[in-house]
Amino acid sequence: MKDRSKLRGRDVVATSVVGLRSRRGRTVLTALGIAIGIASMVAVVGISSSSKAALLAQLDSLGTNLLQVEAATGGLSIEPLPIDAEPMIRRIDTVQDASAVIDTGFEVRRNAYDDTLVGINALGVTPEFFETLQVTTTAGRPLEEGMRSLPVVVLGEVAAVRLGIHDLEGGPTINVEGHNFAVIGILDALPLNPDLSRKVLIGDEAAVAMLAVAPNPTSVYVRIDPDLVAETRPLLAPTANPGRPAKVKVSRPSDLLEARAEVDQNLQNLLLALGGVALLVGGVGIANVMVISVLERRGEIGLRRALGATRGHIRSQFVLEAALLSGLGGVLGVLLGSGITTVYARRQDWVVDLPPTALLAGVGAALAIGMFAGLYPAAKAARLDPALAVSGGTG
Amino acid sequence: MSTATESSLSSVPPNPGAAVLELQDVHRTYPGSPPVEALVGVDLRVEAGEMLAVVGPSGSGKSTLLNIMGTLDRPTRGTLLIEGTDTSKLNDRRLSGLRSARLGFVFQSFHLIETLSALDNVATGLLYRGATGRTRRKMAEVALERVGLGDRLHARPTKLSGGQRQRVAIARAIVAEPSLILADEPTGNLDTATGEGIVELLQRLNADGSTIVVITHDPDLAERLPRRVEVRDGAVLDGTVFDGTVLGGGVR
Repeated sequence: MKDRSKLRGRDVVATSVVGLRSRRGRTVLTALGIAIGIASMVAVVGISSSSKAALLAQLDSLGTNLLQVEAATGGLSIEPLPIDAEPMIRRIDTVQDASAVIDTGFEVRRNAYDDTLVGINALGVTPEFFETLQVTTTAGRPLEEGMRSLPVVVLGEVAAVRLGIHDLEGGPTINVEGHNFAVIGILDALPLNPDLSRKVLIGDEAAVAMLAVAPNPTSVYVRIDPDLVAETRPLLAPTANPGRPAKVKVSRPSDLLEARAEVDQNLQNLLLALGGVALLVGGVGIANVMVISVLERRGEIGLRRALGATRGHIRSQFVLEAALLSGLGGVLGVLLGSGITTVYARRQDWVVDLPPTALLAGVGAALAIGMFAGLYPAAKAARLDPALAVSGGTG
Repeated sequence: MSTATESSLSSVPPNPGAAVLELQDVHRTYPGSPPVEALVGVDLRVEAGEMLAVVGPSGSGKSTLLNIMGTLDRPTRGTLLIEGTDTSKLNDRRLSGLRSARLGFVFQSFHLIETLSALDNVATGLLYRGATGRTRRKMAEVALERVGLGDRLHARPTKLSGGQRQRVAIARAIVAEPSLILADEPTGNLDTATGEGIVELLQRLNADGSTIVVITHDPDLAERLPRRVEVRDGAVLDGTVFDGTVLGGGVR
C-alpha cells in the first residue's frame, strides 16, 4: 500500500521553527542560559589566545636566542665557572655574543652612613654585557671599555627606584662595602631578565680590585644564532667547564616567560569549567522547558498525529526544536564572547585572536547539548497516546 | 488544482465492494482495577458516501469508538478495516500513513495552530503527505474556498470567529481528500446559529461525495442526519435508518 507518511526535510525544520516562534519570550530566555555558557567559554579561549599571541609576539621581538650559563647550585659545593669560560664559549661558531658576569654578593647602600639595605646586589660586568643583553640606558650611558676598573656604576631599572635615584642630576653616588661609586647611567627594562633590573652594574676589574671577589664568572650570557639554538645549547656546558660539565646549568630566560603563560592555564581551566557548568545548567533548562512545552502542546501533538505524523516525525520535531533553541543560544554566545574578547584585548593593546575552531565548536557544542537535552522530552512527546492528546484540548 | 498534484496525492483506489470503514466485534478495555470495558463487541459498517451520527451520553464509549475509528487508539480485541485494509497488522508508520491519506479529523476545540494563517493551518493537512509547500498552499486555498473562507486566507485563527475557525478545521480535514471524515462534536463549542452553518457545510460536503461520521450528544443534530448509531455502555444500537425515523427511545 502506498499510504506513506512523509515529511520533507525542510518542513521538519520549518515545523520546529514554528514551535519556537510561537513562544518568543520563552525561547530567548531559555537560549540565554546556553548563550552565557558559550560566551564565557569563547571569551576565556579568545582572551587567553589573544594574550598568548601578544606574549609570543613580545618574545619574538626580545629574541629567544639568549641563554644563561651559570654554576649549578646542586650538590654540596658550588663549583665556580673557570675564568676563561666566556672566551671559550665565544669560540663556538654559532655564538654571536657572550658576556661574563660576576655576582659580588655584596649589597648596595645609598651612602656610607646609611645602614639600610634595599636588597640590591652589585654585579661585575664587561662592556659586552649591554650588547649581549641588547639593553640600553634610559639616562646616562653604559659602561665603556676604559671604565672597567673605575668606581662607576650603572643602575638596573628597579634598583634605581629602590635607591631613590631617578636621574643623574647632581652626580648621585652609591656605596658598596665602603667604596663610593658614581652613577653614570640607568638601565632600560629587561623583560626577559627581570632579575638583572634589581642589580647595579660595576666594572669586572673594579669588582675584583676594590671588593676582592674571585675573578671567576658566576654566569655567562650567550646570544646564539636564532636558527641553531637547539644545536648549540648542549655544547655550552662542556665548553664552559670542560672538567665538570655536570656542574654547569644552562637555561633560557624566555622559557620562564613562556612558563608563566602556562601557569595561567590553571585559571583558564577554572573559567572553562565554570563555562561548562553554565552550559550544563543551560542544557538542563532546555530539557525542562521542553518537557513543559510537550505537556502544554499535547493538543498540537495529537493533531499532528491525527494528520499523519509518525512517532518519528514528532520526535524529530522536538529534538530539532531543542537543538535550534540551544543553537540560537550558541550563536548569541559566540557573538557575545567575541565581543568581550575584542573589547578586553583592545584595552590591553593586544591583537584580537579568536580561533575559528573555538567559534565553530561553540555553536556545535550548543547544538549537541540542545539535541541531547531534547531527547527525553521528544521521546515523551512521541510516546504520547494520540487519542488522549487530541482529547486533551476538549477535556 | 492540477490533475498532476491530484493524482500524486490521492490514495490507492478503494477495494471494490469494501466498506469505507468496518468494525468487527471490537472490544476496548482500559487496564485498571477493575478494568474498564469501554467497548464490548462493536460491529459497524460505514459505506462510501454515507453520513451518520454516533450518539450517546458521556461515558457511553462514543469517544473511544471515534478514536478507534480514527486509528488513534487500537482495539483490545476485534478488527478495524479501512477500505478493506486490516489496521491491526499495521505498525505506527503505516498507520500514520493511512491516517494522512484516508482520514480527516474535525475536533470540537478546532486544534488550530495560532501562529499560522488560515491558509497555512489548512496546508498542515498535507504536511505529512510529503507535498511541497507550493502544492500544499494551492490545495489549501481550494479547500478554504470550498468552506466559504476564500476571502480570509491570511487571517490568523485569533482574528476569526468560532464558526470560521471550525470552517478552517474542516478545510484542513478535507484538503487531502480523505475517504472518511471523522467529526467529534463539531458544533460543541459553537452557538446554535453558528453550529447550524457547520452542519449545513458538512451536509453539503456529503452531498459532494464525502463520507462523514459525526460524533455528537446533541439529539437535534443527530436528528438531521440520515443514519444514527447509538452507543450505550460500550455497545452499539445501530438504527441504520435512512428514512428519518427516530430510533426507538435510544436518543435523548
